[in-house]
Amino acid sequence: MTDATVQQDHVTKATRRGLSEPVFAWALIAPALVFIGFIVAWPLLETIRLSFTDATLGGESYIGLKNYVDLFNSDKFYDIVGRTFYWMFLSVTLKLVMGLIGACLLNAAIPGKALFRILIMPPWVIPIAIGVIGWKWMYNGYFGLISGLLQEFGILDERIALLSTKTSAFYSAIVTDVWVGTPMVTLFFLAAMQGVSRDLYEAAWVDGAGRWYRFRRITIPQIMPVIVSMALLSAIWTFNSFEIIWILTEGGPRGATTTLIIDTYKVAISSQRFGEGAARAVVIVVLLALFSLAYLYFLNRVNRHYGAK
Amino acid sequence: MATLSLNKISKSFGTAKVLQDIDLAIKDREFVVFVGPSGCGKSTLLRIIAGLESATAGRIVIDGQDVSDLPPVERGISMVFQSYALYPHLTVFENIAFPLRVAKLAEAEVKAKVAKAAEILQLTDKLALKPGQLSGGQRQRVAIGRSIVRNPKVFLFDEPLSNLDAALRGDMRVELSQLHRDLSATMIYVTHDQIEAMTMAHRIVVLNKGQIEQFGSPMELYHHPATKFVATFIGQPNMNLLPAKVLAAGAEGLTVEFNGGLRLTLPVDCTTATIGDTVDVGLRPENAPLGEGISMKVRVLERLGGVAITYAITPDGQRFCAALPGDAAVAEGQTINIAINPADCHVFDKSGNVMRRRMAPAIAA
Repeated sequence: MTDATVQQDHVTKATRRGLSEPVFAWALIAPALVFIGFIVAWPLLETIRLSFTDATLGGESYIGLKNYVDLFNSDKFYDIVGRTFYWMFLSVTLKLVMGLIGACLLNAAIPGKALFRILIMPPWVIPIAIGVIGWKWMYNGYFGLISGLLQEFGILDERIALLSTKTSAFYSAIVTDVWVGTPMVTLFFLAAMQGVSRDLYEAAWVDGAGRWYRFRRITIPQIMPVIVSMALLSAIWTFNSFEIIWILTEGGPRGATTTLIIDTYKVAISSQRFGEGAARAVVIVVLLALFSLAYLYFLNRVNRHYGAK
Repeated sequence: MATLSLNKISKSFGTAKVLQDIDLAIKDREFVVFVGPSGCGKSTLLRIIAGLESATAGRIVIDGQDVSDLPPVERGISMVFQSYALYPHLTVFENIAFPLRVAKLAEAEVKAKVAKAAEILQLTDKLALKPGQLSGGQRQRVAIGRSIVRNPKVFLFDEPLSNLDAALRGDMRVELSQLHRDLSATMIYVTHDQIEAMTMAHRIVVLNKGQIEQFGSPMELYHHPATKFVATFIGQPNMNLLPAKVLAAGAEGLTVEFNGGLRLTLPVDCTTATIGDTVDVGLRPENAPLGEGISMKVRVLERLGGVAITYAITPDGQRFCAALPGDAAVAEGQTINIAINPADCHVFDKSGNVMRRRMAPAIAA
């Protein structure tokens, strides 16, 4: 019996028990629908509803679009959006570039590469909080490793607290975010590279193509669908990255590391202005939805261009 | 085009010896096929010639130049892979043009060369497609096109037809033979399929366990196999081997007695034979007609139309296969008699080496 006839058979039995085909199909996905409705749809709808109120711990009343109007009239909001995009762009670019270089090195025929493959895992494997607290210590001006080494080697005359000035705090947070995010990107790229047929490289080598040429004309196009996937997924995760910034700086100093998600948390949870926080959350949802659409669009295009098998 | 010679090529992976002291001289414009069972080292030998593997010892000389230490592109070879190794993200045009792009040829020259190769291989209307949109045979032709555009001295083929279905394989065999004539190039072709070897090769190299068993023309291998291995490997169905005891060795040949009592004098050079030894007498299924000789019981009968392949077993348990005429009056379970013509017999001594036949058809070297 083929799959189709098996399916047909089941449907027939279901119909015999008095269920029409569409009803039977809906019945099958109903549990999943209820579950998703409970954990995704309801909180989302509740957030949207809250964003039209001035909800605090003290109560709430409907205020229409006021939260949004205030938000879009505030210069600070545009600063935060700009910073979030800059944060995302820089961090994702670094993760992709370092991931690509790392994957190439791990894919090379070097002795002990299995060991190196394990050694890149810790940033990803250890709990983020633990890793980030480690970084926080290293950035510390009094007992931090980085400040200490810079003074030891005579690069700095006095100690530096990297998380206490606006610029250094922002870039320090980027470094930590890249540290956490790169191993996964590396492993995905590595897996994609290992999926490229060895024959392609050998054929190119027989034709005289050097390493760089092979990398440019075989490796990159062959793993392009994975690069696009990782770029867009990594963009979404970095956009939403909360715990790294929160543990390092709580969005400070003076808002230098406050991204949209940090701002939302500060307004909604720290200040308990739920209505205003919800409006910010809705903005994030809309932006991420746009990312997701872009992701699906690009993935589809890339697959059509590179993946035609 | 080019000659190719291999001098004492050996290859080991760790302690495993894959190839041992391979000596081979391939003539200009010759079509040579490496054939042998899986793991015999034939693909490794081809990859060593290509420069994809380095030999543990020995030298490779192409057209008088020692290329052993040169990278593949400087050896003047091109290779067609079993998997075709086409770049899925590039069009047929760019796939064929790949070696020319690497060599940084001018656009006009690239277009001219690709167009010419496409014409030879009937791919002109497929140039804008991606490999994924082609059939297996067309992909194979693209792979060949990529090797043609470089004008190599020696073409190397690594089991190029093994991913195709049987009918297409037959067509491609003819096309490859035609291509060889059109390009008049030196070609080396690796296969495990003896039909490809017999039909396409000028000369065949039979490899077994990393050593050359025999190097000769298809008919030479068929009529004068040097060893028991070659005898059973070449020819379809396989040659039958019957044990026999040596009774006498003289000028007229070797006199043997088969199990069951049949005595024959076989016209072979038997100076090395020892009286009382057991030898293997080889008889091809197509040389085993019904008639007075050895009796056996038919186990399975395959009537193919023109021939009836008859699988039988002798009273002492030896398996025997005879290719009888298609309408032969035999049936499964029946006992038949197979006649043995002494001139058709091959004789192999205990170490598997042949005693040369005197009455076999003359072979043009």
